[in-house]
Amino acid sequence: MQSNQTFADLFRAGGVSRRDFLKFCSLTSVYLGLSPSMVPSIVEAMEKKVRTPVIWLHGLECTCCSESFIRSSHPTIEDLLFNMISLDYDDVLSATAGHQLEDVRRKTMKDYKGKYILAVEGNVSTKDDGVYCMVGGDSFLNTIKETAADAAAIIAWGACASFGCVQNAQPNPSGAAPISDIIKDKPIVKVPGCPPISEVMTGVVTHFHTFGTLPELDRFGRPKAFYNTRIHDKCYRRAFFEAGMFVRSFDDEATRKGWCLYKMGCKGPTTYNSCSKIQWNGGTSFPIGSGHPCIGCSEPNFWDKGPFYTRLAEVPFLGSDSNADKIGVIAVGAAAAGAAAHAAVTAVKKAKAGSEDNDKA
Amino acid sequence: MGRIIEEIYVWRLPVRLYHWINALCTVALFVTGLYIAAPLFNPPLGEAVWYKGMSWWRYLHFASAFIFVANFLFRMYWAVFGGDKYGRFGGFRPWSPAWWGKPFLEQVESYLFLRSEEPNYVGHNPVAALAHFLFIFCGSSFMIFSGLAMYGENNPGGFNSVWFGWMIPLFGSSYTLHWAHHLMAWIFPIYLIMHLYAVFRHDVVDRTSVTSSIVTGYKHKVEEEPV
Repeated sequence: MQSNQTFADLFRAGGVSRRDFLKFCSLTSVYLGLSPSMVPSIVEAMEKKVRTPVIWLHGLECTCCSESFIRSSHPTIEDLLFNMISLDYDDVLSATAGHQLEDVRRKTMKDYKGKYILAVEGNVSTKDDGVYCMVGGDSFLNTIKETAADAAAIIAWGACASFGCVQNAQPNPSGAAPISDIIKDKPIVKVPGCPPISEVMTGVVTHFHTFGTLPELDRFGRPKAFYNTRIHDKCYRRAFFEAGMFVRSFDDEATRKGWCLYKMGCKGPTTYNSCSKIQWNGGTSFPIGSGHPCIGCSEPNFWDKGPFYTRLAEVPFLGSDSNADKIGVIAVGAAAAGAAAHAAVTAVKKAKAGSEDNDKA
Repeated sequence: MGRIIEEIYVWRLPVRLYHWINALCTVALFVTGLYIAAPLFNPPLGEAVWYKGMSWWRYLHFASAFIFVANFLFRMYWAVFGGDKYGRFGGFRPWSPAWWGKPFLEQVESYLFLRSEEPNYVGHNPVAALAHFLFIFCGSSFMIFSGLAMYGENNPGGFNSVWFGWMIPLFGSSYTLHWAHHLMAWIFPIYLIMHLYAVFRHDVVDRTSVTSSIVTGYKHKVEEEPV
């Protein structure tokens, strides 16, 4: 397939006449609520806009993002790959391999300088010059710097590329760093999740392809359309949360009745994602729907905020694992003991001073 | 008993009102906050629409939080514009080395039993002022900012999310901010123990009626007890 095909080319190849193509453009202007004078610009865009070239790199990762991506149902992955983007390089999905494939990457970088999207799955090993992640005979650290230099924008797929995920959890042996720590001079969209929901992934690509700009981002650089609200806000078990009806162990009556998993450590109230709206695998279910508490996989550093099955994180304190309540009780106890000791000393001093006064008298 | 030689009106009505509203709100916030973090009671089996178990605790927490915030703002107003000799920020200058000088050190020495003479202050002594600054001013400010940031999560793009939402990336994530809010809540019981101890001790040692002064507003100077 020609790599710089426009929509008009695609229509023509599909046997659509020029007359029908113009009808389609007029109808599109109606759907978009535009005035008839906008029709020529739509026609122009459809005739001149080439499919968005995408280079998809894989760093330190498990390919779960790709697995999720290829299961998209709205739009389908076929629609996306054949009609919207031109996935020029993906070392997992490409038919070619080795030098041939690396040449394709360099060619795309040259032909579409400043126009292609760099999609990154996984993060970057930075320790010891990045030797802990070698792809195509070079360190991933070098490859990503080289490929990012001429990209229009970067999409950071998944928790790895966005925030670091399990690779940079304590003690982070390979010095794994999220993309935003490595590339500072390019717009980056973070699409966190382990993996992200497929429709969210394709949605972000579709947005860039349709409007030519990145979607509106929140304070963490995530697209607001998908990461604006918490799982909790749209959770179908929210009514049980408000009612105070909680699962207390995984084999109780409440589990069977599908009550709220808050007490089982559900991170839904602090996790921004679309799982409770879009759900997974074409809307089949999502973790809470299957009776498992949310582990907050789209939140920064979620691995270090465990355990997954308690609400309150455990943190090292005085050489052992503690939580905020244990630390608080110890500190309150220390304050009470301090006050009692101080009171005792005061009493002794006072008694002494009193007896001295009595002696003088 | 020594005769009362002077009665001083120290805590004016706005200060006393602030104190008690703040005390009640803090207790309510601490208790409801802990409950929200670890809800204890389960309603009997039935429909979710019949119960408001968690909603009530959260409602109480938010309602007392807004009273707490309003009360705090009122106290800040009173400290700056109230013209109240004992209820203003006036003498508190921790950024100036002079403030940490003689009066502060003398008070610390006295608390550490290194001096027999108790320095006597009608209002707050410098150590008390520092404790109030750290626990009540900084502590409350943190709880208010982090609390409003989390409250704003209920309405993305709303007032609280726009004005206080920056706390979330500052602390790394919503979960970390919840954790910090939970941990910092413990400074209030710690403060309460220290506060009550210090008040009772001063009352016993100095006999200035400091305990009742937060109800009546009056402190007393008493004659040295003849031995």
